[in-house]
Amino acid sequence: MAPPRGEVLQGTLDLIVLKALDALGPLHGYGIAQRIQQISEDLLKLNQGTLYPALLRLEQRGWISSKWGVSDNNRKAKYYSLTRSGRKQLASEAQSWERMAAVMARLLAGAEGA
Amino acid sequence: MVRLRVFISRLLGFFRKRRLEEHLDAELRAHLQSLTEENLRRGMTPEEARYAARREFGGLEQTKESYREQRGLPLVETLLQDGRYGMRVLGKTPGFTAVAILTLAIGIGANTAIFSVVHSVLLQPFPYPHADRLALVWSIYGHEGRAPASGPELTSLRERSRLFEELGGIWAQSGALTGEGEPEQVGLGLVTANFLPLLSSKPQLGRFFLPGEQGSGAARVLILSDGLWRRRFGADPHLIGRSVRLNAESFTVVGVMPRGFRIIFPEGSSVPPDMDVYLPFPTNLASDPRDQAYIRVLGRLRKGVTIEQAQAEAEEIAAQLRSEFTDFSEPGLGLRVVPLQGDVVRKLRPALLALFAGVGFVLLIACVNVANLLLSRASHRQREITLRTAMGAPRGRLIRQLLTESVLLSCMGGAAAVLVGWYALEGLLTLRPQEMERLGTIGLDPAAFGFTSAVSVIAGILFGLAPALGLTRVNLVESLKQGGRSIATSQQHSRNLLVVSEVALGFVLLLGAGLMIQTFVGLLRVDPGFAPHHVLTFHLSVASVKYRTPESAIHFFRELRKNLAALPGVESVGVISHLPFDDSLPNWYGSYWPEGAPKQEQNTIMADHRSVLPGYFESVGATFLAGRNFDEFDVAENRGIVIIDDSVAEKAWPKTNAVGKKLNIENGNFVRDTVEVVGVVKHLQSHTLTDQVRGQVYLLYPRAVRQHMALTIKSTAAPETLLPFIRREVTQLDKDLPVYNVQPMEAYVEKARRETRFTAMLAGVLATIALVLAGTGIYGVAWYSVLQRTKEIGVRIALGARPRDIFGMVMRQGMLPVVSGLFLGLILSWSLTPLLAGLLFRVHPTDPMTWLASGAFLGGLGCLACYLPARRAVRVDPLVTIHYE
Repeated sequence: MAPPRGEVLQGTLDLIVLKALDALGPLHGYGIAQRIQQISEDLLKLNQGTLYPALLRLEQRGWISSKWGVSDNNRKAKYYSLTRSGRKQLASEAQSWERMAAVMARLLAGAEGA
Repeated sequence: MVRLRVFISRLLGFFRKRRLEEHLDAELRAHLQSLTEENLRRGMTPEEARYAARREFGGLEQTKESYREQRGLPLVETLLQDGRYGMRVLGKTPGFTAVAILTLAIGIGANTAIFSVVHSVLLQPFPYPHADRLALVWSIYGHEGRAPASGPELTSLRERSRLFEELGGIWAQSGALTGEGEPEQVGLGLVTANFLPLLSSKPQLGRFFLPGEQGSGAARVLILSDGLWRRRFGADPHLIGRSVRLNAESFTVVGVMPRGFRIIFPEGSSVPPDMDVYLPFPTNLASDPRDQAYIRVLGRLRKGVTIEQAQAEAEEIAAQLRSEFTDFSEPGLGLRVVPLQGDVVRKLRPALLALFAGVGFVLLIACVNVANLLLSRASHRQREITLRTAMGAPRGRLIRQLLTESVLLSCMGGAAAVLVGWYALEGLLTLRPQEMERLGTIGLDPAAFGFTSAVSVIAGILFGLAPALGLTRVNLVESLKQGGRSIATSQQHSRNLLVVSEVALGFVLLLGAGLMIQTFVGLLRVDPGFAPHHVLTFHLSVASVKYRTPESAIHFFRELRKNLAALPGVESVGVISHLPFDDSLPNWYGSYWPEGAPKQEQNTIMADHRSVLPGYFESVGATFLAGRNFDEFDVAENRGIVIIDDSVAEKAWPKTNAVGKKLNIENGNFVRDTVEVVGVVKHLQSHTLTDQVRGQVYLLYPRAVRQHMALTIKSTAAPETLLPFIRREVTQLDKDLPVYNVQPMEAYVEKARRETRFTAMLAGVLATIALVLAGTGIYGVAWYSVLQRTKEIGVRIALGARPRDIFGMVMRQGMLPVVSGLFLGLILSWSLTPLLAGLLFRVHPTDPMTWLASGAFLGGLGCLACYLPARRAVRVDPLVTIHYE
């Protein structure tokens, strides 16, 4: 019953969204979803709806801000962009994530060697 | 920071729900459309494209739901939702709701009323600056533990105390205001210059007394109460500096006390709360005689000083005074420091706390009854709860919803309780004892509202919890299979437990009320030593310059007595310096000893000092035990004789006839004298009905001339009808003399019973409420159990059970929890009633008759409550019940 594609880990979605906005500038929800699929080459399975509560949570914390605009295909859309404190948050979270990843990598390598 | 930000955003979200909902819809729709378009581009059919978009997006409603939870305040939202649902449920069963609200309104309302009293009497600080640091200093002489101080004693205290910031004193007197308008008798407070500033931050007009104005007798200045200033001087703002006539002398007004200012001193301290005029002490207190103790001492402790520290210091000072002054009073002198507020409420506190506990019990019983109602209703809701559980509602959520309902119920009860409490408080205040009157206004204040709300919520949780827990402990399979009947037995257990607690609490209340009522009846039976029926009393004060010589005062009262006695319907007329139970004037008392007693025995007999004219003993119906009464010849010749009461006689000359013996007394001018005992009367209760506080020594008026005297007029007719004639006789002798404080003597006795009447009546009311609640509770449970078992009973009857067996079974099962409750109540009372001991009189807390009667009464009530359902059970028709299913 192992999922064919990796589920998004709890808490990593925030980091992914922040990173996407950092890389591409203001985006609407659909754009963010597309970006995630593209970057992960469809390895990450994301119920796109779950993006919205996460966006609201980030906005409530003041890490991103939103405003209504018009999309490429002339549709009204809500655009999200990174705030200054969001940028800081991204930096610190990215750092701790990298540390964690390094530890995990070492751990797994060690396990293989044994 | 982040947390606050999130909260604010959620709060905004909560209130801007509709607009945000539209935004969310638009945003999600746009997303879905984009996905669909993308799919169309990939070459899907429109149908496929929409379907795939939905799949990629995930559950639209779930997304919205979790978005909403993130956006608003889900806790508040579910609470509101539960509240709305609860209202609908309650509205569907109006009968149940009304009974529950009524029960709770009574239970909570009683608490609101008593709490208001407890709060304003015991918890609220007195309306004085730094009220928590105010303390009284009483002198102790032998058995006399609350004696006033002499001038030199107060002076020494002030000089030597390091722990008191200020120490002042007051002596209550009365005087006649003359000049413009009717002459008026007013209460006078003679005070030290620092006394009023202890109790008030500043006067309404003018200033307080200056230190130099006290003692010299030269400064003729006074301060008025707000009441007198308005009543007699029309609230004249320019009164300061003007002169008024008091006791026919001229005084300059230097200040007016603030509105509502009262002196709250303990009962029996002879300092009445409403004084009209304050004067500085005219004498130099330091050079007063050491044996004239009349000053009531009040002090303010330094910040952070405890009563215990002050007491230790006072004891040291008392020891110094004892060793430094060997004359009359000091050898036995002790000092006692007590907090002002604690001393004022010392008698009220136990009664109020007992009543508070009592209303607490009543509320518990009310909660138990409502819990019972909820349980009965629960079986009707079992289907609903089972269904909701089956559909996946978590237990916690269901419990929360049921509790919301019960809290909703109790809050409605609480709202009604405010009304009940208001009426109850009105009733309480008309009954309140004298000490409580000293404290001024008592009302429903914000604290009482806060208390009521808190109690309502707690009560709601209390009576809602058991049913909620029981109801949600569902065995789905069993419950669905049996259509909700399996819970009946477990519920019957909870119900029986509720009856047990109800009966136990009811027993404690009934017993307490029984003891209090017996105390009150005991008080009614007390023989006060006099017959107050048909005796009218009033006060006269001959303080003005017209009566400067003792002879003029003696002449006045003798003439008046003669004239009043000649009125038709008057049987006898007495004149006395101090009426029994009268606390409006300082009580004069001192030590007396048989002639020739050694020095160390000279202050062992303390007695109230009374100055009388012949006729007093007849007018109040006192009983002579030995010797004779005073007569007119005694007065005319100013004989050196005295009448004493049996308690003084017994102490001075145990087991021998006191008549003819010589007694060392103090006459009216603080001068010792030796006089002969001519009569012994039975003690007249003068301070409380329950204790003989001090014995009494009666001197002839010419030997002890006093300015303030009371008259006692015994008549054959209702005494009030005599009043116009009495006034006429007084005016004929002196047109400037006000007749004041007119009261039937019965009113004084009545006042002495008020505290006990208050407690006894309230305890009775509480017990009655408890009995009604407990009775209906027992009845409800027994009846409900018969209802539940109708089918079983029908089968039993069909199988040949006799009506007697059925009747016995229902009675047995109904009475089992009642009897267990009685036992529990017995144990509970055994540990609680000793706390009542201080409130009781002539009845012991373990009085077997009261215990037996309470148990029998409650047991009888239980039998009655079970009898009716049992009768119903007997009449069950087996055919009907079997068809019923």
